Amino acid sequence: MKEKSFIKQPLYLVFSIFIVSAVLLLLLYGTIKLEHSIEEKMVAISTTDIFSVTDNTTEYIHEMLDPNKDFITQVADNNILQANIERSLEVLITKNIAYAYLLYKDKRGVFRFLADGSLEDKAFLHQKFDIDNPKWLEVYKTKEALSIEHLFLQDLAITYISPLVQDDEVKLLLVVDFSVKKVLKIEQILTMMKYGIIMMIAVIVLFLLVLIFQTIRYFAMRKNAYIDKLTGVYNRNYLQDAQEFINLNEYVLATIDIDHFKAVNDTYGHDAGDRVLAQVASCITSVLKVKQDIVIRYGGEEFVVLVKTHQEDTLEALNSIENIFEAIRNYKFHISSDEYLPMTVSIGVNLHPYKSRTFSQAFKLADTALYHAKNRGRNTIELYDENENRNNSMMLSINEIKEAIEEKRLLCYFQKIVSNSDQSTSHYEALLRIEDKDGSIITPDKILPAIEGTFILRNISKAVLEICYLKLQEESKISLNVNLNPADIVNQSIIAILQEYAKTQNIAQRLGLEVVETQDIIHCEDGRKNLLFLKSLGYKIYIDDFGSGYSNFIYLTQIQTDFIKIDGGIIKNILEDKISYLLVKSVVEFAKAAGIKVIAEFVSSEEIYEKVKELGIEYSQGYYFSVPSRELR
Amino acid sequence: MRTLLVSFVIATTLSAQNYTFLVSEYTKETELEAKIVSNIAEASLNKSEIRLFIPEISELEERVYSNFVTLTSSCSEADFVFVKRSVDVTEYCQDMDKVYVTNNYSKLLSDQRYIGAFFWQKSRPNITFLNKRLQKKQIQLPSNYEKFVEDF
Repeated sequence: MKEKSFIKQPLYLVFSIFIVSAVLLLLLYGTIKLEHSIEEKMVAISTTDIFSVTDNTTEYIHEMLDPNKDFITQVADNNILQANIERSLEVLITKNIAYAYLLYKDKRGVFRFLADGSLEDKAFLHQKFDIDNPKWLEVYKTKEALSIEHLFLQDLAITYISPLVQDDEVKLLLVVDFSVKKVLKIEQILTMMKYGIIMMIAVIVLFLLVLIFQTIRYFAMRKNAYIDKLTGVYNRNYLQDAQEFINLNEYVLATIDIDHFKAVNDTYGHDAGDRVLAQVASCITSVLKVKQDIVIRYGGEEFVVLVKTHQEDTLEALNSIENIFEAIRNYKFHISSDEYLPMTVSIGVNLHPYKSRTFSQAFKLADTALYHAKNRGRNTIELYDENENRNNSMMLSINEIKEAIEEKRLLCYFQKIVSNSDQSTSHYEALLRIEDKDGSIITPDKILPAIEGTFILRNISKAVLEICYLKLQEESKISLNVNLNPADIVNQSIIAILQEYAKTQNIAQRLGLEVVETQDIIHCEDGRKNLLFLKSLGYKIYIDDFGSGYSNFIYLTQIQTDFIKIDGGIIKNILEDKISYLLVKSVVEFAKAAGIKVIAEFVSSEEIYEKVKELGIEYSQGYYFSVPSRELR
Repeated sequence: MRTLLVSFVIATTLSAQNYTFLVSEYTKETELEAKIVSNIAEASLNKSEIRLFIPEISELEERVYSNFVTLTSSCSEADFVFVKRSVDVTEYCQDMDKVYVTNNYSKLLSDQRYIGAFFWQKSRPNITFLNKRLQKKQIQLPSNYEKFVEDF
């Protein structure tokens, strides 16, 4: 489960650096290209008009010259013409045009001045002029104007050469030199733009780096939030967030519970328990494929395992689960440096999670299988059997019940018990319900099977007792009956709670304790003593479902019960079934003789009510009078 | 603080070219001039070991020229004299038979002592030798210098 973080993987890091460097180089290259392109365009914009004006001047000079006479001789021999030409050249001189002059090439190929419109550095007539670039000579071939960019001259940026053609031969060159001032200004603007772009890129890169850093940190933190520190496997947070994204087609789902883990904690302490948990997690992960399979510590000593598989072939995944089972069974769990324990686990497997609509439903089925594994004596693997469990599909799992208790979704419905003499409400029976997450109400037959024999049942009894205690305080004129399990009667914490409640005035007298008569409790001396003790505190004792199972008349007298509630299964047949009728009759006769009051359950019609009354039963409870409801009616 | 420091370093680096004058003066033009003058001197005297005298030479010129040619502080020790600015060469080299070159075209035309000139015309380096004066001094320039020689 512990993977190397992204930053610590050298290959990824090198790759990232390479990508970032490449992007930066590309951006830099783009910036340089952009700079050159903008510079060219800006220079072109700045010079186009001047080039046109120069061309016009060339045209003008051309018109001043006689096409039938040699241009060079005309100008050289005519001072007035030369002066006129120089005046027209002077017009071209501006802040950015340093020089404007007329050249010719002599027979030796040497360039010489014919006229110079420059205000400074004025040349003499026929003065030799050394050109700086052989490109000048191209004008003689193309007979077209030409601009030359200077890269090495300090003061000049561009030279524009416009030819004067006579008899299809370039005779004169009108040359205009641009100073660097204009280009320097352009370059300054470009430099500012370049710096601006570089700064923007730097800011963007910085921002991206911060973003990447924060993202990595966020994912690292999120990962930490998903990892159980003790075992190093995923925790429940991960499951809550990831369950929507888990493709149930790809996994076999198993729930693993460490057998008798509570005993380890109680006997050796929580540190030892933690060591066992860590070692169990280690055993599980050692068997599974880290990159494919998912291990989650679901809570306490329970793990959820998702083993990657194909829908058609679940055998391999099942083998992996068996390997986990065996690995744990064969492992020596060290609770200290020199002490170790053998441990076993119970595993519930849902081989076909894809058949469930949601992960929760798939998990519930695995949990049901786990429940069966525990019921069958633990230390075993149980596969979820669809047929076996079809009728129990609505049953809550242990974890769902735990959640309901934690989230205070446990509640009581109340059904009244009436006096048969006048149909007045004598008292109410509090009936356990759980409100499901979707708001539906779950009845005890869907709750109790999963938690039978577990400490959760005791917690439920405590919660129901508290609800009834508060209700009695709230409603001072009613009496309530609460159902207790035989195990509750021998549990000191329950007895202590009832003892505490009895200290509150007028509580014990109004709180009836309904206990199912079982063989266990009859033969348990503590149970009998506790019932007598509770009776001494003022509580009324009711024997529930009398006649349905183990019914012992002597026991009733021993515990001095106040009421017996005849099982609904007998009452509902009382009209048709003679045996049932006779059974009820004999119970009523015995009860009257023993001074015990009788309540008939499942009184669902007027006929049954009349029959019950005829038999001399004092109280009735059933749908004929009321259905259980959240409010007292 | 670290961010401030990094920002300062980046800003300073980007504007570094604005501060180069603190390190050294611009020497490119002088360097080009020194190269050309030393070449002219070698071509004129037809030898490689030249002792050059520049009257009223500046510190920058002295530093740059000394990279290409041996400078002397007196005209008498020199083989070749390059006269710049409006210096009166007579003050330094009275009646001395040296090879004189000026950086002024007008001066070349008017003063018979100069065999040639190296000067900046329209911001470009220009070299001019006068043929008659070369002949008078019996100076034979290499053929690649012919284009710089004027026939007068």
